[in-house]
Amino acid sequence: MTRILAAIAALTVFAAPVASNAAAATQVVDLDGARAYVRADAGAPLAAVQLFVRAGLARETDAQNGLAALVAELVLRTPVSSPGSGPATPLVDAVSARGGSLAYFVSSGYVRFNLQAPPETLPALTPMLAKALAAPAYDPATLAAARGALSSQISEDEKDPRLVGLAMLRASYYRGGAAFPPLGTPATLLAFGPADIKAFHDRWYVRGNAYVAEVGRTGPATDAASRALVAALPGGNAPTANVPDTRPYAAEPRRLITHRDVLSPYVVLGFAAPSLGDGDFAAALVIRSLLTDAFARPSATTRPAALRGIGTVYGYDVAPAQMALWINGALVDPSTGLGAVSALVRATGDKPLPAPLLNRYKDRARGEWQLEALSLGDRAWSIGNAVSQGLDPDAADAVSAAIAQVTPADVQRVAKRYFLKFDVALILPRTQGQGG
Amino acid sequence: MRNVQHVLRAAVSAALLVLGSAVSAGAQGSSTSPTGTLPGGVTYAVFPDPAQPAAAIALWYRAPSSGFEGTPVPGFSRLAAATVAASAPITGTPLGRLVAGFGGRLTVAAYPDSVSVTALVPPDRVAQTLRALTGDYFAPVTTQAGFELAQQDVGQDSLYRSYDPEEAIEDALGSSLFGQGPLHDGVMGSPDGYRAATLDRIKAFAERAFRPSNAILVLSGNVDPAALSAVATREGASQQGAERPIVQQPLRIPSPVSRHGNASGIGLGWVGPPIADESSATALDFISDALFAPDSGSIQKVIGNRRATVSGRFVTFHDPGIFLVTISGQDAAAVRPLVERALADAAKPMAPAAFAAARAGFIYRMLADLETPDQTAETFGWYSVEGNAAYAPAGNLDRSLYFKNVAALTPKSVAATVARYLGVSPAVVTLTEQPPSGGNKGS
Repeated sequence: MTRILAAIAALTVFAAPVASNAAAATQVVDLDGARAYVRADAGAPLAAVQLFVRAGLARETDAQNGLAALVAELVLRTPVSSPGSGPATPLVDAVSARGGSLAYFVSSGYVRFNLQAPPETLPALTPMLAKALAAPAYDPATLAAARGALSSQISEDEKDPRLVGLAMLRASYYRGGAAFPPLGTPATLLAFGPADIKAFHDRWYVRGNAYVAEVGRTGPATDAASRALVAALPGGNAPTANVPDTRPYAAEPRRLITHRDVLSPYVVLGFAAPSLGDGDFAAALVIRSLLTDAFARPSATTRPAALRGIGTVYGYDVAPAQMALWINGALVDPSTGLGAVSALVRATGDKPLPAPLLNRYKDRARGEWQLEALSLGDRAWSIGNAVSQGLDPDAADAVSAAIAQVTPADVQRVAKRYFLKFDVALILPRTQGQGG
Repeated sequence: MRNVQHVLRAAVSAALLVLGSAVSAGAQGSSTSPTGTLPGGVTYAVFPDPAQPAAAIALWYRAPSSGFEGTPVPGFSRLAAATVAASAPITGTPLGRLVAGFGGRLTVAAYPDSVSVTALVPPDRVAQTLRALTGDYFAPVTTQAGFELAQQDVGQDSLYRSYDPEEAIEDALGSSLFGQGPLHDGVMGSPDGYRAATLDRIKAFAERAFRPSNAILVLSGNVDPAALSAVATREGASQQGAERPIVQQPLRIPSPVSRHGNASGIGLGWVGPPIADESSATALDFISDALFAPDSGSIQKVIGNRRATVSGRFVTFHDPGIFLVTISGQDAAAVRPLVERALADAAKPMAPAAFAAARAGFIYRMLADLETPDQTAETFGWYSVEGNAAYAPAGNLDRSLYFKNVAALTPKSVAATVARYLGVSPAVVTLTEQPPSGGNKGS
């Protein structure tokens, strides 16, 4: 889920808020100007320290697409060594060899680095990451390895028709960085030399507006790690990026068609959707539950995504947000599914949902929301994502209560406002002689 | 065997009870004890963590995947558990639908000698889910409609899994290592096999396998131990006892297996120590991680850009455990000697720095496997059902028996364990992809 969300992220930049509620689950720690948002879970086996840097897709121009990912990949691959530890190794391997993990995710508004380990291990890991954040390696070998890793990941993503559809719909809906492929393309990655990459890093990897989310076994060790990571970034502020532009949906759906090496056709519908801080967000989650349940065949247990006929990805790490609904053509006839979704959203907009039906989907939506972020990395992202949109760090916690308050009129209004117009991406199996 | 079935069938007709206040009075532990036995004979463990956003409720059972008796049907336990989840119980809603209505997730997992049912739900749904889950499985209702739905789901699952080389190869390795029994039969099954199953046999299996006294109940995440009062039981349930852990007799000389299927690749398998040999089991867990962990494993680095995927793991069964390696992809044949060389090298002590790094990474990955409530429930459930709950990895490094074993490992002890168990000729499985027949794995 996080990877998919990361793949459709866009930009919103606001000043990081100070928590207004003394009893808030997330506490704010001052990092000499920057902030750490701390949510403790003493029962967790590990701690996650997630650094958010405003160096995402929104910082790229058309000609720079791929630079955000390339810089982050170079950070992970920067050779590091410590006294007595032998030859230098790529940072990500060095972190693993000392008992932790390091990963990054590119969104429109930010790049985030997730450092995870037992807290007592963090003091050994943090200086290495701090050093690489301050000065990534740009040598030919590291650069080649970074390009290779990104190209492999892009190739993997191309095999998932849902990700392909999301990328098409994002490119159709958004303007600017939010529309770009998060990792760039193999061709664009080859075009950047060390000077381009260094210039991007120097421009956007700055302390101003950077922040950290700490979750799990938090305490002095995670606070010290947060402080060290933020301090590693040069001082200075990055100018606030604009809210992403969007292209209005037309009365008739735009049809975007591509052919890929996939086993079955997929239809992916893209809707405009309320963002996390929007008053309509909770009602949109109820509609999401309704749409996915209405066309799901009965099953004994929860089906894995690959064996579901229909599913959604709600890109609420972007404001404005986008919701994508995919239909697996092997399990649901694409034409039938498309027609049925259209009919259902029209009906939902035309008249209020009966109370029993509304309550059913509110219950379902509330539970699905509570299970949205379970891993430490996802829980840290949930806090950081809210902060990135100028919201309280515990904004996600308030959504469950908001779902309980959703009325039939809310659902009707949101269905009319957001779900009647959409784009359609068709991902068809490649037949002999067809290109992409 | 027949007497046991007679007793069980009679018991199913007995009234279901909810424990209520009987928990604190009747449990061999107290109501606040993290582990204990409930009046119906249910063994339980609770791992509360109120900071988690969700809760997991899992039932684990000792039961052979291919059935207790009659012609073995691989994956039969999965079909039986799914049938119960899909059948409408006396109280109304099938469990799968109930949990979905809570916005939760219900999964059934089948292993050669055990089967688990896990619900992941929001914290305020724990009591309802626990009541329904234990009610449905402790006195299983199996309807024709539920059976047919389960056949459809499980058949689709098995077809999908058959395209995964790692799963297909691992499933086949058991038949090379064992002449009979659940590890020989495997768990994957086939749509044809599931279609041939009968509801009567499913009922008999469910009544025997899912009885309370054979159940291990695990609650983890955002749960209040007081929720145990929602556990259902039935009269006389505790008298029937639990199934014994299954001991499997390996073949003296593994027999090579060649199969056609939906995936291709090579499998190598060895018989390992039983779960009771904690030191050796931990050593093989450690070396499988050091060699095969995605990205960081030493074999993964040796493979480089070759078009092959390699996996390896030690599976801690009751007796014996098994060490499984799979190699798939276009370059599988070329990669096999590299894997064999790495395994041979593992029988020599690692350099101290490499050993320390491998151990640090191993401990991290073991802890990362305990991050979410369902992961915790799965880990504890597995070690319990295999007969050594005390050895289950737990998040507290200082107190965990498992991590004490990890701390006690040395380069020499690991090398000696590798030499002892992996220094013999392995079982070999070769899977060859059959030509496409126009089918679709998603259909």
